[in-house]
Amino acid sequence: MNNKYKILVIEDEKNINNLVATLLEANGYRAISAFDYKNGMMMYESYRPDLVILDLGLPDADGTAFLREIRKDSYIPVIILSARADEREKVNALDMGANDYVTKPFGSAELVARVRSALRSARHGSEMSSPDGMFEVNGLVIDYGARRVFIDDAEIRLTQTEYNIIALLSEHSGKVLTYSFIIKAIWGYNDLGSTKRLQVNMANIRKKFGAKPGKKNYIVNELGVGYRMCDRND
Amino acid sequence: MGKPSLIFKNALITCAIQCTCFVLCLFIQIIFRNTALIPSIFVLGSFLTSFITEGYTYGIISAVIGVFAVNFAFTFPYFRLNFTIPENLVSAVIMIIVSIMTCALTTKLKQQEAMKAESERERMRANLLRAISHDLRTPLTTIYGASSAILENSNEFSDEQKHKMLQGISQEAEWLSRMVENLLSITRLDSGNVKIIKTPTVLDELIDSVLIKFNKRYPNRNVTVNIPDEFVVISMDALLIEQVLINILENAVQHAEGMTELSLKVYTSNGKAFFEIRDNGAGISAERLKNLFLGGSSHNDVPPDRGKGNMGIGLSVCRTIVKAHDGDISAVNLKEGGVLFRFSLNMEDSSDEQQI
Repeated sequence: MNNKYKILVIEDEKNINNLVATLLEANGYRAISAFDYKNGMMMYESYRPDLVILDLGLPDADGTAFLREIRKDSYIPVIILSARADEREKVNALDMGANDYVTKPFGSAELVARVRSALRSARHGSEMSSPDGMFEVNGLVIDYGARRVFIDDAEIRLTQTEYNIIALLSEHSGKVLTYSFIIKAIWGYNDLGSTKRLQVNMANIRKKFGAKPGKKNYIVNELGVGYRMCDRND
Repeated sequence: MGKPSLIFKNALITCAIQCTCFVLCLFIQIIFRNTALIPSIFVLGSFLTSFITEGYTYGIISAVIGVFAVNFAFTFPYFRLNFTIPENLVSAVIMIIVSIMTCALTTKLKQQEAMKAESERERMRANLLRAISHDLRTPLTTIYGASSAILENSNEFSDEQKHKMLQGISQEAEWLSRMVENLLSITRLDSGNVKIIKTPTVLDELIDSVLIKFNKRYPNRNVTVNIPDEFVVISMDALLIEQVLINILENAVQHAEGMTELSLKVYTSNGKAFFEIRDNGAGISAERLKNLFLGGSSHNDVPPDRGKGNMGIGLSVCRTIVKAHDGDISAVNLKEGGVLFRFSLNMEDSSDEQQI
């Protein structure tokens, strides 16, 4: 099989790198390991991978430097590996164009799910966001053409803004969108009150969706980071 | 000293006290037509200044100001400086001596207090460390033992046995990672000079996130939730408060014997948000209750084996986090059985930083 997805793993901890690579191989991907920035760059240039898994704390340079470098001319999906304490860094990396993040320590299922959904949205991104496409997950249906939303065949009446937020999240389903990303996409500008405005809109959406705290809802709250729409893997 | 704000504050105190003295003396001079009281008022002033401000500087400055003020305004010749009269000189010397001695005394007192607080913190830290090292050993034994057994004698175990051992490794590792998270928070906050960054957090989203994580760990535990219907925003470090809630819920699951109901209630009142976690288990002994949040058992040593008894650490993390938010945390036994944990947070951020 030559058509396996190539995934570049840049992580300086040997054990973690090894683990991630093994997990990926076991799930039908081809893993390429690199242990620092320089090596990672070289591997990236010569293998042209389909996805990069990137640790932020590399020995010879910051992981975000790598991200900045490849984002100059590529939309290749990037998943960040991060420790919990780097909340700021995480948001930063997402705003700089990372597609997703996985917090250390992580379970195998979680990592593979993120990889799968990042690859899928990279493949289908354009087709999903086409004006007359449909989005469907676990009973939630979004009709982009008619700008209507249904849950279990019952229509949910949303305001313009609420619809725009839902459409945006669904176009990037499976991926965490940061508060500032959503705000910029919906309102075009970011001022003092906009986070509050977004939070109020999200609260209304939750109410209309009949979301109960702690139950499986369509939108996952990533505290301090942003929101994520569930996709078929969840 | 060193901090400009502190210097400003001390200078302000010195100024205020000296001005009050001066005005008071003016009144006394006008009303009683007598200057005998005046030096003693300035002595009192420089005594107060030395007592309130830090270090020697301000006390001595105020004594000197006092000397000049008395000499200038309140002794003959009025409104002219004159140090040739012996009484004036003697009173000047007395004032300076009084303020130097007061400064020395209060500085010593403050140093002693700081030392006492420091040694208390040290003691708590030592207790915590001892409890932690003990708690870490148990899961590590399982992880090390099971993984090396599988590596070395893979063929001798049945698939089922291997699965069981791997499950043990996974569970213990997960527990360890939570423990480390707790430790990180406590060391980060306990050092005192780290300010937490509060962001406006929607209560719904916080509770949702807490319950999802809690349900992942304890799928069979039902938590009854009661939160206000309206849109509530509370200023906090969401990840830390999430940790507090999970620790308290988890503490109930692990330690409240005979518990059948676990509930989480949030309500707001007077600009504060109150979080209540209630169980109907066996309750906590009065002795235990006293030191519940102080990091392990603080007097007697850690019992030789108490399994996964990270009660002390989990709850002392809660206390540290809530304290860092300027909130209060408490636990009481309920009459009808079980324990009620309650903590409160200010809804609005009183400090000026508000960002995402």
